[in-house]
Amino acid sequence: MSSRDTDTQSIVSGDVPSREPSRLGRLSARFGRRAVTVLIGLTIAFLIVPVVFTFAASFFENLTGILPSGGLTLQNWKLALGIAESQGAQRGLGGFWTFVAPDILFVLTLPSGLEYVLRFPYDVTIQTPIPVALGFSVLLALLGVVVNLIVGVPIAYAVTRYTFPGRRLVNTFAILPIVPGIILGIAFLKTYPDLPSVIALVLGYSLLKIPYMVLAVQSSFESMDLRRIEESARSLGASWTTTFVRVIVPGAKQGIISGSIISWTLAAAEFNFSYIVYSRGPRPFSLFLFENISNNPFLRAAAAISIYFVIVVAVTALLNWVGENGFSVGGVQ
Amino acid sequence: MAESITLTSVRKEFGDTVAMSDVSLTIEPGETLGIVGPSGCGKTTTLRTVAGFETPSQGRVLFGEDDVTTVPPEQRDVGLVFQSYALFENMTVRENVEFGLKMRDVPADERHARATRLLQMLDIGTMADRDPATLSGGQQQRVGLARALAIEPRVLLLDEPMTGLDAQLKTRLQEEIGSLLDSIDVTSLYVTHDQSEAMVMCDRIAVMNEGSLEQVGSPDELYERPANDFVAQFIGTANRLSGDATGTTLSVAGAEFTTTRDLPDGNVTVIARPEAFSLGDGPVNAEIVEQHYLGGHVRATAETDSGEELVLEIDPPSMPTTSSIQLDIDTTRLHVLSHER
Repeated sequence: MSSRDTDTQSIVSGDVPSREPSRLGRLSARFGRRAVTVLIGLTIAFLIVPVVFTFAASFFENLTGILPSGGLTLQNWKLALGIAESQGAQRGLGGFWTFVAPDILFVLTLPSGLEYVLRFPYDVTIQTPIPVALGFSVLLALLGVVVNLIVGVPIAYAVTRYTFPGRRLVNTFAILPIVPGIILGIAFLKTYPDLPSVIALVLGYSLLKIPYMVLAVQSSFESMDLRRIEESARSLGASWTTTFVRVIVPGAKQGIISGSIISWTLAAAEFNFSYIVYSRGPRPFSLFLFENISNNPFLRAAAAISIYFVIVVAVTALLNWVGENGFSVGGVQ
Repeated sequence: MAESITLTSVRKEFGDTVAMSDVSLTIEPGETLGIVGPSGCGKTTTLRTVAGFETPSQGRVLFGEDDVTTVPPEQRDVGLVFQSYALFENMTVRENVEFGLKMRDVPADERHARATRLLQMLDIGTMADRDPATLSGGQQQRVGLARALAIEPRVLLLDEPMTGLDAQLKTRLQEEIGSLLDSIDVTSLYVTHDQSEAMVMCDRIAVMNEGSLEQVGSPDELYERPANDFVAQFIGTANRLSGDATGTTLSVAGAEFTTTRDLPDGNVTVIARPEAFSLGDGPVNAEIVEQHYLGGHVRATAETDSGEELVLEIDPPSMPTTSSIQLDIDTTRLHVLSHER
């Protein structure tokens, strides 16, 4: 025993020098935590002030220098939404956006070489109040999210759950936002010249934003023991489909909610693709912003941007609510 | 009510790997059969074959008289309990337990009543409306067990159900669930790598190695009369000694002993458990080379003069002060392997 004691001692023998912190070390011990907090606060303030400022400015009558002045008004919002009483130059928008309904709705080329074309009998011009048009464009991006869910959730599941040849390749392509919107837009125009804008926009949005959906859902799936959960459900008598719909998908709820919010927001803000592809029909959101920002006074642009904020917040809340309440199908009431 | 489960000459290959080769096994009605073995020995494949997630390359699986070899898992009525619990996180505890009944279109009142009864039986009755993620590991495992039992399965399959739990909880849960399995009339298959857990939980144990069954028997059979070296080493602590036998004379560990039974003449392999040795006067001289105090006993490694290593379990008060010891061997507690392998 005694021999072991001396052994142990020899290992830790020698003086451990008492630590003498440097001047900097003492300062950092005293103020470090506070300094970091202040720095973070400043950074956040720096980023958030323009947003708050823009939102607030949109309710003022004038802008003097960089500060809003004059009384409070809703005029800017009304102008942006096209519901102001006629005030002269509204850049031909009136209170309406003008949509031209597509004259060709559908082209189907049969294998025999026959073409089946469904047409509108004549060009129709549809006048839509801008708030309604904005609603359409919210819907455009939402449809993109729906396509993303239908395609993205199974992809995320497949690459997490199974090993198959080409799995890594699928994974890479599904999660890399490779194609810029402008390139995809031109490719769409060239390849499907007759495709109605609505369909092109929805498909384009889903294609461009699917990586965000797949990534979010995949991280949810990765935290689940997919194989065993699936096997438990099947041993309890659920078919594969029932298992997928009632157990697997609801289990990835959080990922699906956040993936939907991210891909919707990005689709709504996607300018390049929308600008190139859009020709007629409900106008995308980003073009609404573009029209109000270019060649307009700042306050009207501010109002348009504020409208965008409000819609983003509303849709985010909606998606969150639907997500939190829409998965009770799997439960037992 | 409970049925027997029979595997007849089941072989399962994955590509070039043979996961199960010629496994024939019968689980008697209401019995809990354990399968133990090192990782990769085929025990989980056996369980998955019974569950229906693997289809045997050859051989058949019978539930009672029914051949279920090609029946898909969702139609087999098996209850599965996993190490990772695999609870459905989007459902409450009660919804988890009722899921299988819902799949069978059991009316809501009956589902509710059965779930309540099971949850109470498993001592988690107050947690019915909780989210499973908020429960402790032991509680989650009870939910998993309740969920599997709710469908009154033809066979209950448990795949390392206690591996993730801490030692104290494990001991308590082993006793609780062990007596639960005894009290309800269900045929169970219990897969674990932990032989002592299997000894607590199971009526009989099958030892598997490299895809084959080495021995099937009650815990005491496996411990006292292991069929071969592998079983002896896997179940409990075993000292494997080689010796020479002539009639009733056994020469082992550098000393000669007289046995009460006739032995096969020639070279034999002897399995000696630590309790076969007693400290004090005896013909075997050894030197203690390592020792660990474990509370109830001291686990000591000793080297005999003949160069063999022995693992001994010594009562702490009788621990010798010197490292040189003399040992006696109780020959009635030796097990002579019939063939050297």
